[in-house]
Amino acid sequence: MMSWKERLIDRMPAELAREIDIYETQMALKRQGKVEDKLFAETRLRRGVYGQRYDNGQRHDGSTQRTLSFPCGDLTKGTETVWDAPGMQRIKIPFGGLTPDQMDVLADVAEEYSDGISHVTTRQDIQLHYIRIDDTPDLMRRLAAVSITTREACGNSVRNVTACPLSGVCSDEAFDVTPYAKACSRFLLGHPDVQDFGRKFKPAFSGCKHRACGLTTMHDLGFIARIRVENGVERRGFEMYVGGGLGAVPYQAKLFDEFVPEEEILPLSQAISRIYARHGEKKNRNRARIKFLVDKLGIDRFREMVLEERRGLPHNEAWTDYLKELPAYGEKPLKPATKLNSGARSTAFETWRASNVYRQKQPGYAVATATLPLGDITSWQMRQLADIARRYVGENVRTTVEQNILLRWVSEADLPALHGELERIGLGEAGAGTIMDITACPGTDTCKLGIASSRGLAAELGERLAAKYQQLDEAVKGLHIKISGCFNSCGQQHLADLGFYGVSRNVGGMTVPHFRVVLGGQWEENAGSYGVAIGVVPSKRVPDFVDRITEKYLTEREKGERFREFIERVGKRELKALVDELATVPPYELDRSYYSDWRDPREFTLSDIAKGECAGEVVSRIDFDLQGAERQYFEAQLQFEAGNHQKAGETAYSAMLAAAKGLIRTQYQDITDDADTIVREFRARFYDTELFHDKYAGGKFAHYLFGRHEDKERTFDTDKTRRLLEETQLFIEAAHACNARMIGQNAAAPMIANQEPASVARV
Amino acid sequence: MTADGAVDLHKIGVKFFAEQGNAVELVEFIPIFHRWIQTDALDDLLIDVADYSHVHAGPGTLLVADAGHYGFDETGRRRGMVYYSKHVLTGTLPERLAAVCRKVLLACQLLEQAPELQGRLKFDGNEVQIFSNDRLCAPNNEETFRAFEPALKEFLTKLYAGSGYSLNRETNSKERFCVTAKTSEPVRLDTLLGRLAA
Ligand code: SF4
Repeated sequence: MMSWKERLIDRMPAELAREIDIYETQMALKRQGKVEDKLFAETRLRRGVYGQRYDNGQRHDGSTQRTLSFPCGDLTKGTETVWDAPGMQRIKIPFGGLTPDQMDVLADVAEEYSDGISHVTTRQDIQLHYIRIDDTPDLMRRLAAVSITTREACGNSVRNVTACPLSGVCSDEAFDVTPYAKACSRFLLGHPDVQDFGRKFKPAFSGCKHRACGLTTMHDLGFIARIRVENGVERRGFEMYVGGGLGAVPYQAKLFDEFVPEEEILPLSQAISRIYARHGEKKNRNRARIKFLVDKLGIDRFREMVLEERRGLPHNEAWTDYLKELPAYGEKPLKPATKLNSGARSTAFETWRASNVYRQKQPGYAVATATLPLGDITSWQMRQLADIARRYVGENVRTTVEQNILLRWVSEADLPALHGELERIGLGEAGAGTIMDITACPGTDTCKLGIASSRGLAAELGERLAAKYQQLDEAVKGLHIKISGCFNSCGQQHLADLGFYGVSRNVGGMTVPHFRVVLGGQWEENAGSYGVAIGVVPSKRVPDFVDRITEKYLTEREKGERFREFIERVGKRELKALVDELATVPPYELDRSYYSDWRDPREFTLSDIAKGECAGEVVSRIDFDLQGAERQYFEAQLQFEAGNHQKAGETAYSAMLAAAKGLIRTQYQDITDDADTIVREFRARFYDTELFHDKYAGGKFAHYLFGRHEDKERTFDTDKTRRLLEETQLFIEAAHACNARMIGQNAAAPMIANQEPASVARV
Repeated sequence: MTADGAVDLHKIGVKFFAEQGNAVELVEFIPIFHRWIQTDALDDLLIDVADYSHVHAGPGTLLVADAGHYGFDETGRRRGMVYYSKHVLTGTLPERLAAVCRKVLLACQLLEQAPELQGRLKFDGNEVQIFSNDRLCAPNNEETFRAFEPALKEFLTKLYAGSGYSLNRETNSKERFCVTAKTSEPVRLDTLLGRLAA
């Protein structure tokens, strides 16, 4: 029977197909024990293949700790991560842009490899849970066939580039940031300068400053669209921010430049990446995000270093190529603009319209929000929604950071019919962007680090609020609730009016789930300010707390006072007293419900928390390069076994070059792929200096590369090829040994961008 | 499909619909499934419970296992107990169908007996849905149906002991391959299990 690989070979972009083949080979090498856990874990993370709760093979069932005896035995896919244990697949959706064809495939892979649910994340990605690692290469191929990559969706890499989901149709924007977000995503994907980060790196684009959609100030790198008039001519550019982030210690991004012209955003992003890779913390992952580096250096020094780096960058056409396509860029509406007629309409429609419809700046068009409860959508709904999109808006679909899906360019007269269609598939609920539309991270449902059940709490609150939504005061309807399962803040609680994150407390010798209350965060102005942590309430009292604080706001607010202002005015002391009223946990014998979490009847325990993979292990670039060489060597062996000697010989040579290039890159970042250059640089830096020399064999192994490189008339008989394969293996081993010696002696010269090629420097 | 035109399915799902049980909240299944994990109630490596009660016509309450997933499911807006395999299965195709069917029937029986539900849930034995989560091997089309039919007939003949049944196939080619078989006579779950064991 045909495999997905064969079936889709002509439909996958060649580069994506090749990357997936490489990943599959790495899996094969791991199964054979030829790749160490730490390296393989980071390899799969960089393909979006993420760990999930209980994947260490341990689970507390409520009464005892159990070992889950997966059939794979000792085989692991990372440190303490069992191969067969279900995991999560993160799928990057740059700027949230989706087409109906992509939605169909997402629905299919969710159904066939996951549990029939696609989950929209707070960074516009899609996540699938309960995935078997053995299914991941085919899953990736099917996505690649519709131009979706999972590359660098996790791990210490550039994550999904997010953007306002209204960009291009928003009345407030300076201009449409979509093509810039797209270009940034394409440029940084797999870029050599972003492979050596100490942790993840999240960019975001926003079309304006005062609304919330882009949330740029909570990002590692943020761009806000600006237009500047110079000599009577309008110039596009961006207000650029760096070093923001939530996590346990939230940081507001610092202003890097008030106006970066459009042609400079990619080179500056590259320069920032280089500075972060070179100077960012690598050992202590708790301080490895760029926000700590910016804080340590100060924004002025950081800026100086970046600008100096920028001046030395080798020119790259890709920095500005996309700008040529900008004048032609634009989304095409499927239908002509129309007005919503004034006939009688149902209350349900009007309620939905009030919260879920946004009138575009283009007259006669609107954006409609399909509200996904907790960001979840079934495969059937996804396919139906794709068909609805085909009928009403064509390709104009986006995911949002509030975990919903937008249909853009709806011809206004179609809104009632569209609402009817969404209701038919269970996605026509009103309340998008209101207190009912709660954001939650995966929490204890699937996250290895989760302390409390963020989704359980969100589901409970969502149900209670939905039941009384119509009766809620408009001021309360407009509030945002965001929940995280722990202090890592993936649910973005710092930005919400009412934020919660999971903690635990010991009560009478037992562990009780609690949530810390964070109040008065600012969602608007691109996450303009963060909320203040007040106190903790037992998980089971959080709904009561929501009732009390909203009630207090309604009765005590001053005219026109917004929630954040109210929180500021009332002050911590009074708010703390409100929290404390609910803080008491009854003894276990009196009320056991406090001792388990929402929608999880097991007695609460922290023992299921395992080592997280939020940023993976820090694996340096040279480790990946040498692993790449190993993989090519493995492929050469397979080709040799298949009798294809010439191919095997060429692949083996390429493996030696890859290993040599990896070593060179530790000293000279801009080394090219040209074989002559690699061999010349390798000779100058590692052979002439004797860095590569073995204690006993001297420079012998280097000669395997030199010999093969100079042998232009090579023939590929069996013996010669076998010998070459053996030499390749020895060369790669010697490269590993050389790298280990350099680490030991700290001999690798610090990477200095644009350091001259050794061959030039010697002249 | 194999060279001889047969369909080599492994990712097979079987669902029995709930006859009563609309009054049972999906969240009521959560503690039951957790207890099944604690007591090793099913012959599978049971891992965790996932709550999808918030989505419309979805997987409902899922009991995640290694070889496949169980769930009290609402897909197609019809409630029922489902099991679908995620691993390679052994045996001939009719044997694989029978093995998956047996798993879900045992789960149905256990659920009917759950003390928390106090008899509020009953399953229909006379209607069974069979589906495949594998569009490579079994795209939803007539060709797949023809290739699948002999194995299906063999399995259904055993399950329904030769009594007649009607077959209904999902015709939307985008949906997964899915057929539903129904006999006119009510059948008890233990009768079905007995026939499969024979
Ligand atoms: S906030 Fe904590 S529990 Fe939630 S996804 Fe992040 S690490 Fe996991």
